[in-house]
Amino acid sequence: MKPILETRRLTKFFGGLTAVNQVDLIIPENSIASVIGPNGAGKTTFFNCITGFYQPDDGEMIFEDRSLVGLTPNAIATMGITRTYQNIRLFTNMTAMENILVGQHPRLKASWIEAILHNPREKREEETAVVEALRLLRFVSLGGLGDQLARNLPYGAQRRLEIARALASRPRLLLLDEPTAGMNARETSEMTIFIRRLRDELGITILLIEHDMRVVMGISEQVTVLDYGVKIAEGTPGQIQRDERVIEAYLGHGAASGLNISADTAAA
Amino acid sequence: MKVGLQNNLRLGIVFGIVMIFLMLIGFNLIAANLIGSFFNTGDADVLNMLLFIGLVGLWLGATAAKQDNLWLSAAINGAIAGAVCGLGLAGMVLLLGSLFEAGVTLSTYLAQLVPSTMKAILFGAAAWQAALVNWVIFALAGALGGILSYLLRLEGWRKRLSSIWVRQRASTSQQPIIQAIRSYPRSRMIIYGLGLVVLFILPLGLSQYRNYIIILTGIYVLLGLGLNIVVGLAGLLDLGYVAFFAIGAYTAALLTAPQPHHLQWSFWVALPIAVVLASLAGVALGVPVLRMRGDYLAIVTLGFGEIIRILLKSDLLTSFTRGPQGVNTIGGPDFHGLSSGVGFVYLIFLSILLIILVTTRLQNSRIGRAWVAMREDETVARAMGIDVVKHKLLAFAIGAAFAGLAGALFASQNRSIGPEDFALMVSINVVALIIVGGMGSIPGVIAGAFVLKGLPEILRQLQDYRILTFGALLVVMMLIRPEGLIPSRRRRLEIHEDEPELTEGTTAVEGGKA
Repeated sequence: MKPILETRRLTKFFGGLTAVNQVDLIIPENSIASVIGPNGAGKTTFFNCITGFYQPDDGEMIFEDRSLVGLTPNAIATMGITRTYQNIRLFTNMTAMENILVGQHPRLKASWIEAILHNPREKREEETAVVEALRLLRFVSLGGLGDQLARNLPYGAQRRLEIARALASRPRLLLLDEPTAGMNARETSEMTIFIRRLRDELGITILLIEHDMRVVMGISEQVTVLDYGVKIAEGTPGQIQRDERVIEAYLGHGAASGLNISADTAAA
Repeated sequence: MKVGLQNNLRLGIVFGIVMIFLMLIGFNLIAANLIGSFFNTGDADVLNMLLFIGLVGLWLGATAAKQDNLWLSAAINGAIAGAVCGLGLAGMVLLLGSLFEAGVTLSTYLAQLVPSTMKAILFGAAAWQAALVNWVIFALAGALGGILSYLLRLEGWRKRLSSIWVRQRASTSQQPIIQAIRSYPRSRMIIYGLGLVVLFILPLGLSQYRNYIIILTGIYVLLGLGLNIVVGLAGLLDLGYVAFFAIGAYTAALLTAPQPHHLQWSFWVALPIAVVLASLAGVALGVPVLRMRGDYLAIVTLGFGEIIRILLKSDLLTSFTRGPQGVNTIGGPDFHGLSSGVGFVYLIFLSILLIILVTTRLQNSRIGRAWVAMREDETVARAMGIDVVKHKLLAFAIGAAFAGLAGALFASQNRSIGPEDFALMVSINVVALIIVGGMGSIPGVIAGAFVLKGLPEILRQLQDYRILTFGALLVVMMLIRPEGLIPSRRRRLEIHEDEPELTEGTTAVEGGKA
């Protein structure tokens, strides 16, 4: 399948620390891919490089045949990559509706002059934006909560609103940073189903960082494992569960011999 | 209950401190004089002093008993708050009184406490008597205030009143004429039109002095609306806003005045140039401070404001701007028969209306949302595809353009301007009026400008105390109404998030959209 995103030898240093070390990654279009790894493995740094918040020190990132290196975060978002955050980062003092309208920003075209003149084109654009926002609210089952301040929403709703905001610009690649962090088992399984719906119904490629092995193994078609910034394994969930280096990275040296617990828990 | 008690103690202490402060600067006497002239009871006698204290006590009691649903607890709460406040005040009266009786010349330390004032504070009696009277009156007035506030909130008469109101509204809305007006699509337009007519008749009936106050306030409204975009929407704390006001004013002045450049262009040509130059200056300031946030931005912009003022004063530009002398005989628009005072009021009204229109439209557009998002979380705003550089510069440019307009109007209205018209205090005033009015709210800015600029002009009697009132008002505002006089909906929600308005708003909007 045609890759939507490809990184080649992507490298990022922080002083003497190599946070991301020559990572090659190919994400096929319309897939659900995961990046996993122990804490501090460089997963979020990897995300920040792709979204333009960090400039990689070496390597290449190609999204739909265009290089992302040197682009600003807003340019990358406009190209079709949006993200959510590990610790939810909504515009807390804006309503749910406004959050989604802000998410639509790169799709809307009205200039400041048009906004002041309030010309028919701008009017129409705003009207469609509101209709679209209401549709997205319903899509993430937040219909009727559009007028609530984002910070007054319950935790699970905030997670979904953040995803709706990221969807509002109609991205082709969605990066989810630990979308089930802090959720109980029921919420987690709902989120898993929801993520799959995003891909199936909207045709969006999804790249997620996740700690919860059940989520990762349950929905990913491709899993990449980072440890100390280095890619140590890649493959289908089944392959990863049997990979000795992965088990070592998670459970420590020597754990792979004889102990198959991690694979069992992951499969459970 | 415990929370209520704590709240009352806190209120009492705040009021007590304010009262002590007011007494130390002799404000009691001025207030008593004002009350005296209001009730025609003559100057500063004991009765007026007592009346003043009593009124403050009533206010305190009413505030303290705001949430009580029993008259007894309302009275007790009011009395507690009053007693706490009175105790502080009584202590101070006792202290000052004993010192005064011991023959200490208090006016050496506190200029206002001359013997006659001291006598008034002590009600012409002994220190301990005056202290006791103060304390008793505060406690009694507090209790009375509590009961009054309870009575005013009584369900019964409120219901009766609101039912009358509803019935009246229902009956009027059933009348065919009212219905015809409602169903007529342009009725809103007509109502706005009537408002405009009132605005345009109003200045004709006012004295020249009143019109001058309107112009002055209007200029601050313009400044406030401009800074409101920069601070209130985009969240960029700009303390050098006066710089753009100065640039607008000097541009208009230099282009229309005979000295120093012999240009004497028409005001209508100078006005757009002033606006454009000011907004270019906004961009020029914006570029170097793009990466700064919060306090750092405030300090840098503050410096920028001062640089402009000092440049205008400096020898370097004397041949260009006439230095500290300033520019005189600045040209103004020709109003064709209208007196220039009335003409300027119209011009100000027109400018304000135009700017309100521009601001509301920007606020409710993609641009306005991008500003608010930037204020909320710049990093995320960028990740959502918002070009932060462009939108910050746009906010600076538009805010500065409004200031430039205000500056040009100010220069041609005043006929002469100098560097000292553009001191730091102007920036601070504008920031203060936005805060007092309600950040991000257009009606709030207008209310704030009236309170901070219009009222002190009207209350000439308090002239010496203007700055003091200003400071005290800011402090009190921040304590009792942190969201501002007329807050924007967002800000009200931010500060009072658990109040019922929220759900009401939700249902209303849901109903509207369904």
